[in-house]
Amino acid sequence: MAHFILRRLGVMLLTTVCLTFIVFFLTNLTPNLEKLAKSEANARMSDAEVTRWLAEHGYDQNVVTRYGQWLGIVPSPKLTDPDGVTYTRCARPERPAEIAPKFCGILQGELGFSSVFKIEVTDAIANRLGKTGYLMLAVMCVMVPLALLIGILSGMREGSLMDRVLSAFAIITTSTPEYVSAIILIAVFASKNSGISPHFVEWGLIEGPTLFKASAATALRDITFSNFTLPVTALTLYGMGYIARMTRASMAEVMTQQYIRTARLKGVPFRAIVLKHALRNAMITPFTIIMLQFPWLLTGVVIVETIFNYKGFGWSLVQAAGNNDIELLMGISIVAVVVVLLTQLISDIGYVYLNPRIRVS
Amino acid sequence: MKLISRFTNRKGQPLPDALSQSAEAAKSSSEVDRREFLALASAFGATTATAYGMLGLATPAQAATPVMGGTMRLEVGVHALKDTRTMDFAAMAMVASNWLEYLVEYNNDGTFQPRLLADWSVNDDATVYTLSVRQGVTWNDGTPFTAQDVARNIERWCDAEVEGNAMASRLKSLVDTETNKAAEGAIKIIDDYTIELTCASSDITIIPSLADYPALVVPESYTPETMLTNPVGTGPYKPVEFEVGVRAAVERNTDHTWWGEGTGAWVDRFEFLDYGTDTSAVLGAVEAEEVDVTYNPPSEHLELMEALGWQVQSIDTGSTVVIRPNQKAEVGGTKPYADVRVRKALQMAVSNELTLELGFNNKGSAAENHHVAPAHPEYADIGKPVHDPAGAKALMAEAGMADFEHELISIDGGFRKDTADAVAIQLRDAGINVKRTVMPGSTFWNDWTKYPFSITDWNHRPLGVQLYGICYQSTAKWNEAGYSNTEFDALLEKAVALADADQRREVMVKLEQIMVDDAVIIQPYWRSLFRTSKPDVIGAEPHISFLPQLYKWGWANA
Repeated sequence: MAHFILRRLGVMLLTTVCLTFIVFFLTNLTPNLEKLAKSEANARMSDAEVTRWLAEHGYDQNVVTRYGQWLGIVPSPKLTDPDGVTYTRCARPERPAEIAPKFCGILQGELGFSSVFKIEVTDAIANRLGKTGYLMLAVMCVMVPLALLIGILSGMREGSLMDRVLSAFAIITTSTPEYVSAIILIAVFASKNSGISPHFVEWGLIEGPTLFKASAATALRDITFSNFTLPVTALTLYGMGYIARMTRASMAEVMTQQYIRTARLKGVPFRAIVLKHALRNAMITPFTIIMLQFPWLLTGVVIVETIFNYKGFGWSLVQAAGNNDIELLMGISIVAVVVVLLTQLISDIGYVYLNPRIRVS
Repeated sequence: MKLISRFTNRKGQPLPDALSQSAEAAKSSSEVDRREFLALASAFGATTATAYGMLGLATPAQAATPVMGGTMRLEVGVHALKDTRTMDFAAMAMVASNWLEYLVEYNNDGTFQPRLLADWSVNDDATVYTLSVRQGVTWNDGTPFTAQDVARNIERWCDAEVEGNAMASRLKSLVDTETNKAAEGAIKIIDDYTIELTCASSDITIIPSLADYPALVVPESYTPETMLTNPVGTGPYKPVEFEVGVRAAVERNTDHTWWGEGTGAWVDRFEFLDYGTDTSAVLGAVEAEEVDVTYNPPSEHLELMEALGWQVQSIDTGSTVVIRPNQKAEVGGTKPYADVRVRKALQMAVSNELTLELGFNNKGSAAENHHVAPAHPEYADIGKPVHDPAGAKALMAEAGMADFEHELISIDGGFRKDTADAVAIQLRDAGINVKRTVMPGSTFWNDWTKYPFSITDWNHRPLGVQLYGICYQSTAKWNEAGYSNTEFDALLEKAVALADADQRREVMVKLEQIMVDDAVIIQPYWRSLFRTSKPDVIGAEPHISFLPQLYKWGWANA
């Protein structure tokens, strides 16, 4: 097992290096650098000014050299412009260029400085990842039990009325994209002039103008039932149907197996068959699917985060990409690789426990 | 001539003759003429009261004074702070202008009022400006504010070597073209509170430029990197929170005595909340009662906000959109827009009234394709453009471009996209082939001056000649139309030396006519600007050129 995990970590490292180099290369293409210069200095600069700015900030060096600087194995030069102002990529507001170290890369534990947010990349990622983490946790807590329940209930008696109703529900929710369901949810639950809120106010059931809030901006500092319900619901509805369908398929297949028939013929109660014999075997597929939901949630929340104005990881990815914030994009790539490979590692290890026939060695 | 002695600037020196003559003319005419006169008179150093007095009017009474105290939450983009002189749009100054202030302020009625200056005077041909620095102003670190500070800031603004310094092009007449710095002797410190500026040529745009949003006055210790951690400034507030793209907040600086105490800075704390570019998120924030004022709501949301009990305020401006072919741009090896017939055909195919209705919900007034607004002092009415789709098609064919497919590029979202769509539809209706390309905001501005055919939005500037100098002079940095006409350049040189708006208008008639004859731009409409706020917010009206004047804002009740 230890060998397996070590090998997986090795793969993770290699993938990270390859991916970060690709991202670095792409973000350092000339048009992207031009974009960076214009968002940093002035959007309406002339070409000559852009070239001068890039040279003064060291962006005219070779890509491989600069990737080395980002890794921390090549020293970052200190550049001085004609006015005598020194610049180095290691300089920070609290660490002026004159006293900045020569090396500041991954190996020195520095992910760099975000050009969009003007803070350390590590701080930017930690903060935003934490915000999305809360959203993901809430979604997972609601979505997974609900999806499994629907999947099991509809899969255990394939073709029954319950199966038809629950399947229809699952298909409808999963085929409604978040940007549609979010708008419907807002109109129904969070508008002063439409939906149910005006009636609730009239009947004296709620204090405020609306039942839930159409904006989760306040949830960034203080999560409450009213500001967090709608984004969580929108994401849950979309993600739930998929897991439920997979669970149903897996459950239905298990229920046709010989050993289930044997158990039924022996007179084991249906309830016990489902819980003791079928459930564990039926969980293998949904387990992988659930694990795959983590990377999806990490970046797939962009739309919901935008609609409800909840500024998390997806939002910082959009900001970083939109402004070609090289060092933040690199940091985000690392996080993305780690999350994908880590959840896959967990799901592989989980298999061993769910299915004794599988060995990791 | 007898009138002159009655009217003086703040120092008691007589104002130029031309002004009194313009006053006589403006007395009997429209609102627009009055506004142009007020702008001109105050740019020459007349107080607002004097300017109104010359028109035989009393200064309009200020609206009710807000109460002291409270927190106000403003929906606005929270952009990363950068070197103030390189700011490229007005919202960037929203936060910083609460501890850094301006020398002069431009107001909605067209007047210029002194802030960190006490007053100024200009010689007759607008080449020498004498600026008096306000006495009794201190930086919030305790050091007094003097002429040294003003001189240092103007020098900073004149440094054209700094990439993206937007002030250097505004103060061109003070910049030495050889060294790209302030010209030798252009900025002279006369004494502790007096400065003399000497322009290389007549320049009536100096005072308007000093009032523009990048002209924040910064302390000697200023660096863009430390402006938040070491927020030295003269203003009443200090920054307490700043998270790019999310939120920022400023609070009253209780360790500092603000020079303007009692005349403003009513609110104790301002919060700036960023709801992104998705306009429905802003509406969501209004419904969730998370904000008190929205910075610049889209016109289609105004009725909805009104239905929620908010107040909607608007102002007519010289803000506009310009759909311009670039005369120097090459498409497939040729320069399609170098031919005036092609440009004229594009103009003739488009009805500005229709574009205003389809592209901007009629929230403005139709324009006349020459980029000088009725709100500008030197505006001359040269008539409406001709709308003739059939003629446009014929002219396009005559130029041999009947089968050419034009590509009209716009930024994504909002009125700029809608307007470009409305123009494209009309061109197609006239039988001209058009392809529409929409670019996201993050990439659109990379090459905005070079696109062969695209739409750009322009903010209001106090004077029409300023716009011509920025966008259409052949040497202008932002000459996105690739326009080069020596006659136009020469006439413009002449116009910027004429302090009197009536004299300037005579030149302006010719300039506007050249713009129309050369079919430089399709300019469909002038935008009205809007601001919505809770009903008990006072003083937060939209500003004609988006200048941040938050010290005027406050609550009607405690």
